[in-house]
Amino acid sequence: MLRFIAKRLASAILVMFTISVLVFLIFFATPGVNPASRIAGRTASPAVLRQVSKEFGLNRPLPIRYGLMMYHLFIKQDLTSYVNIGDRIIPQITAAAPITLSLIFGAVVIWLLVGISGGVIAAKNKGKFVDPLVMFFGIAAISIPVYWLGEMVSLVTQGGLHNSIFAWVPNGGYVSLTQNPWQWALHLFFPWLTLASLYAGIYARVLRGELINNMNEDYIRTARAKGLSERRILYRHALRCSLISIVSLFGLDVGVLVGGAALLTEVVFGLQGVGWLTYQGLQNLDLPLIMGCVMYGAFFVVLASAAVDVIYAYIDPRIRVVA
Amino acid sequence: MSRLKSMKRWGVILSSLAVCSFGIIAVSASSPAGASSGYQSKHAGGTLHLDATAAGGTLDPQVNYTLQYWQLYQATYDGLVSFQKVGGDPSFDVVPDLATAMPKVTNSGKTYTFTLRKGIKFSNGKAVTVADVLGTFQRLFKVSNPNAGSWYNDIVGGPACVTTPATCTLKGGVVVNAATNSVVFNLIAPDAEFLDQLAVPFGSILPANTPPKDQGDTPIPGTGAYAFTSYNPNSALIMKRNPYFKVWSAAAQPQGYPNEIEMTFGLPVESEVTAVENGQADWIFDPIPADRLSEISTKYASQVHVHTLTADWYAPMNVNIAPFNNLKARQAVNYALNKNSLVSLYGGKELAVPTCTILPPAFPGYLQYCAYNSNSSSTYAGPDIAKAKALVKASGTLGDKVAVVAQNDPVDESVGEYIEGVLNQIGYKASLKPLSQNIEFNYIQNTNNKVQISVTQWFQDYPAASDFLKVLLNCSGFHKGSDNSINISGLCDKAIDTQEATAETLELTNPTAANKLWGQIDKTIMTTEAPWVPLFNPKLVDFVGKRVGNYQFSLQFYMYVDQLWVK
Amino acid sequence: MGEIEESVSAVEAVTLNALERTAMDSESPWRSSLQQLRRNRAAMIALGVLLFMVVVTLLAPLYAHDIAHDNPFASNLQGRIKIGNHYRSVMQANTQGLGLGVTPIGPTWDFSKYFLGADELGRDVFARMLYGGRVTLLIGFSSGLICIVVATVLGMLAGYFGRATDWIISRLLDIVWAFPIYLLAISLSVILVTSGLDLGIIHIGAGSLLLPILIIASVYVPYVARPVRGIVFSLKEREFIQAAIASGASDWHILRKEILPNVAPSVIVFFPLMVALNILTESALSILGIGVQPPQASWGTIINDGLQLLYTRPWVAIGPGVCIVITCVALNILGDGVRDAFDPRAKLRGSI
Repeated sequence: MLRFIAKRLASAILVMFTISVLVFLIFFATPGVNPASRIAGRTASPAVLRQVSKEFGLNRPLPIRYGLMMYHLFIKQDLTSYVNIGDRIIPQITAAAPITLSLIFGAVVIWLLVGISGGVIAAKNKGKFVDPLVMFFGIAAISIPVYWLGEMVSLVTQGGLHNSIFAWVPNGGYVSLTQNPWQWALHLFFPWLTLASLYAGIYARVLRGELINNMNEDYIRTARAKGLSERRILYRHALRCSLISIVSLFGLDVGVLVGGAALLTEVVFGLQGVGWLTYQGLQNLDLPLIMGCVMYGAFFVVLASAAVDVIYAYIDPRIRVVA
Repeated sequence: MSRLKSMKRWGVILSSLAVCSFGIIAVSASSPAGASSGYQSKHAGGTLHLDATAAGGTLDPQVNYTLQYWQLYQATYDGLVSFQKVGGDPSFDVVPDLATAMPKVTNSGKTYTFTLRKGIKFSNGKAVTVADVLGTFQRLFKVSNPNAGSWYNDIVGGPACVTTPATCTLKGGVVVNAATNSVVFNLIAPDAEFLDQLAVPFGSILPANTPPKDQGDTPIPGTGAYAFTSYNPNSALIMKRNPYFKVWSAAAQPQGYPNEIEMTFGLPVESEVTAVENGQADWIFDPIPADRLSEISTKYASQVHVHTLTADWYAPMNVNIAPFNNLKARQAVNYALNKNSLVSLYGGKELAVPTCTILPPAFPGYLQYCAYNSNSSSTYAGPDIAKAKALVKASGTLGDKVAVVAQNDPVDESVGEYIEGVLNQIGYKASLKPLSQNIEFNYIQNTNNKVQISVTQWFQDYPAASDFLKVLLNCSGFHKGSDNSINISGLCDKAIDTQEATAETLELTNPTAANKLWGQIDKTIMTTEAPWVPLFNPKLVDFVGKRVGNYQFSLQFYMYVDQLWVK
Repeated sequence: MGEIEESVSAVEAVTLNALERTAMDSESPWRSSLQQLRRNRAAMIALGVLLFMVVVTLLAPLYAHDIAHDNPFASNLQGRIKIGNHYRSVMQANTQGLGLGVTPIGPTWDFSKYFLGADELGRDVFARMLYGGRVTLLIGFSSGLICIVVATVLGMLAGYFGRATDWIISRLLDIVWAFPIYLLAISLSVILVTSGLDLGIIHIGAGSLLLPILIIASVYVPYVARPVRGIVFSLKEREFIQAAIASGASDWHILRKEILPNVAPSVIVFFPLMVALNILTESALSILGIGVQPPQASWGTIINDGLQLLYTRPWVAIGPGVCIVITCVALNILGDGVRDAFDPRAKLRGSI
């Protein structure tokens, strides 16, 4: 087991290393992004351009530049932006993380509540009209582009109806939990709903499938034979087993979201989380910021999938061979 | 001047702060007498809330080249001279600031002698001395100021400072005398624009002990009515009253009204507009999105101020590669584009004015003419497609492939799409290459990228014709294979360079004649070379909160943030 | 787009259960599966909706030419149209208050002219939507196909050969999975949009649709390849494969004749869902300006154009958005039907 974990971690590190190299190379291969030109300013003479290149180490060979960037990011932890000069990347990310966490926290609560109850209701009513109805909503939820939904929400709450029934909806932005818990929740309410809708749909559908499969399993038949009530069978036995696969799914989802994957939701609602920061970096082609955010995001993606693998390997030793 | 770097959310009319020419559409309630007309202390106090979608980069005034912060520097920093802080036309005038008077110019325009005012303190409490002035100008080179190699290198010792900034002394170039408080600049050659260059924020006098490195997000003490107290590019920039500030010249640095000014970053621009409508913010930096314009111009008309900018939207054509190495082809495009349509893309005729000239109207040297027009009038009337088609045919470039490069924000891309359509109409095989806004500007400059025609903008640095004609259309701005080659069309004509040099020299002795010559150069370039299609001069919309009073507009640095009343 | 991308990753864990799947019986399963699919009413309605979408978008030129009489790719900034007895400008300058802003004409609800109004260049939004649908569907289907083919090949190779091959392919998939697609897309679009790309035989011209197709296809390769790899792993342990190996059959023969037929049903199940996913991804990339490049339009780029008119002409963004939702709902329902028919135990995480 320990060897498995060690191997999994080693390959996770390798993946992160490769990603960092690729990001770096792609950045410098793109025409027109030379940071020196942009740092130096629009009318800089060639001599000044050379000075700026020298000062930012941009005249050095690529491998050295890469090494220096990694050194400043991971060891000295003082990597600074090419755009907002002097602005350190790591504090930016640590300041943005609570906002992303707040967004995800509320969305998680909503999507678990809605997703699980939706899945259970549908499975319980299989064959009746409620099941397809719930599943149709599930399908609709996963068929809507998230950013479009966000924009539609803004249109409704900030547009014509803002002066009547939606007057209570704040105008974007973020208020921290410690500053004012009520405003915190109010500002995040619609972002939560928007982000949660997709996942609620997914989880309801997955759970329903799992429940229906499990209800046909031998152990359920045994339980039925023992004369347990359907209600008890559903909640105590089938649901319990079905939630196992939900849990692993959940681990991966949260990992990626914490890593900044809720980018578009954050951008649409003006929440300055990690996704928003990534978006900023990309908009400005600010390599240090992009690199910081990508490494941060990749860390959670890789960590989450490694964790799930390890947990599964623990539960089911056969998988060690596969993974 | 650098165009604003702002995070461009989808749905933003991109771009465009710049300077205004007075009065063409003065919706503004302000009177040009403005700032100097007596301080009204009953309006002092409160906090002014400004919103911007993104920060403007480094806060170092000797490095930052964005309109976003140049506007704020007006209240925090002073040069030896500065642009007069009044509304309207006189805001283009340079007045003494930290210097007691305008300099004595001797040695046939090569020596400028200033006397530094006494008793002025930085916001850290230290007195301003001549050593600070010397340190400021040395630091200008040490931090690789964008214009160190194009403006300030005409100070004696400047060229050496450009090549080896670390050892920069400007010996013989800036001579200070602590006993007499005098500062003497010796120039290599006379420069009519030297005072303008001292009056922009790059010339802000900073403490001599400021580290010779871009200070980034660390505020540097200044002498203005306000001082930056904290800056986080991801949340806010805060300015508070400078405790050591006392008015020495209201024309140069007036007392401000709010006790605190804060600019917060990160809201989407639509939310910013709503915030001002709801009274949660007092002003937004970003251009108003197209879908909110009619709303604010009807429901909130009293809170809107519109000013024409001394800026160009233009389409440079590469005169060195086909098909636009052919004059007739360039003229054809000039005839073909309907500038009224382009104005409509920008938000209508109250937001932009079609132009045929390189220099913006009401700018020094502006000469009204229109070489490519549907009639012979000197104001733009419309396109002449028939003539354009004939010229394309005559040029022998019919059927050539042409790629239009434009930024991919809404307005730029629309302009690009429109131009592409017109080029197809007059017989080219045109395509559009939309590029991220952070790449496009450098991309179109580099000759290696073989850009044929593109869409871009230019905003003035200071009111001098050379800032358009010499910066953008002179051999000195053309560097093959470099991302910094500001002469985008690559027009390098020795005869034009000579004329420009003559006009610059003439500025020293006879500004009126010089401006007349600049106007002629503008006309010559457009009629004989046509390296651009000048599209239109944009206007700036300021949308302020209901409680805001005393709006004043500077042609040079726009609205005076510190003069707004919030009480 | 992150919201789409990230949610997919979980599939790996879920489909580990696929290890338990039995190999397909050798009797022709295809016919019975298809029959079952045909009996599924919801899936057939969904298929009908999809076909309708395809046909309608294919008829776009006919509509633009014969009904609307306009060119949805040419700007019409000075144009006027007749509504009732009045002529109105397509681009209407604001005449009230300070007169700022130009607003395109809104929906006329008349199919013969500007049914959904005009966009910021005065072009007919409805006609553009039809044309955009072609591009969106083309991207969705072709990138779905490419993705599935590439993923199946990679998954089969990794699962069958194991060891170093598996290790390399698995790490490759990990990298693609955790790689920031936005950056890749931005950089590639700069390189490709400006100069095109020459890869020996393949030449991708500037602004070619191949660019978004390939980018989108590559993003979801791990999503399909990982479960395929898992299935092949388990198949390899089965007697009939072991027997084939023992009989000295070539790897190529086994992969083609024994493994592929058994993997195919699972892969087919993925297809409709991948198309839906790719359509959503395309629209997300478009909003970042790195998807389809003008003058081509897709539903995503039209939404993006519409967002700048959201407060005045919301239909520009609503129309194509609704099209995307309808198409993806239909694809997902069809996908569920395909799953029930071909591989009822496949545990895809919902559509994503």
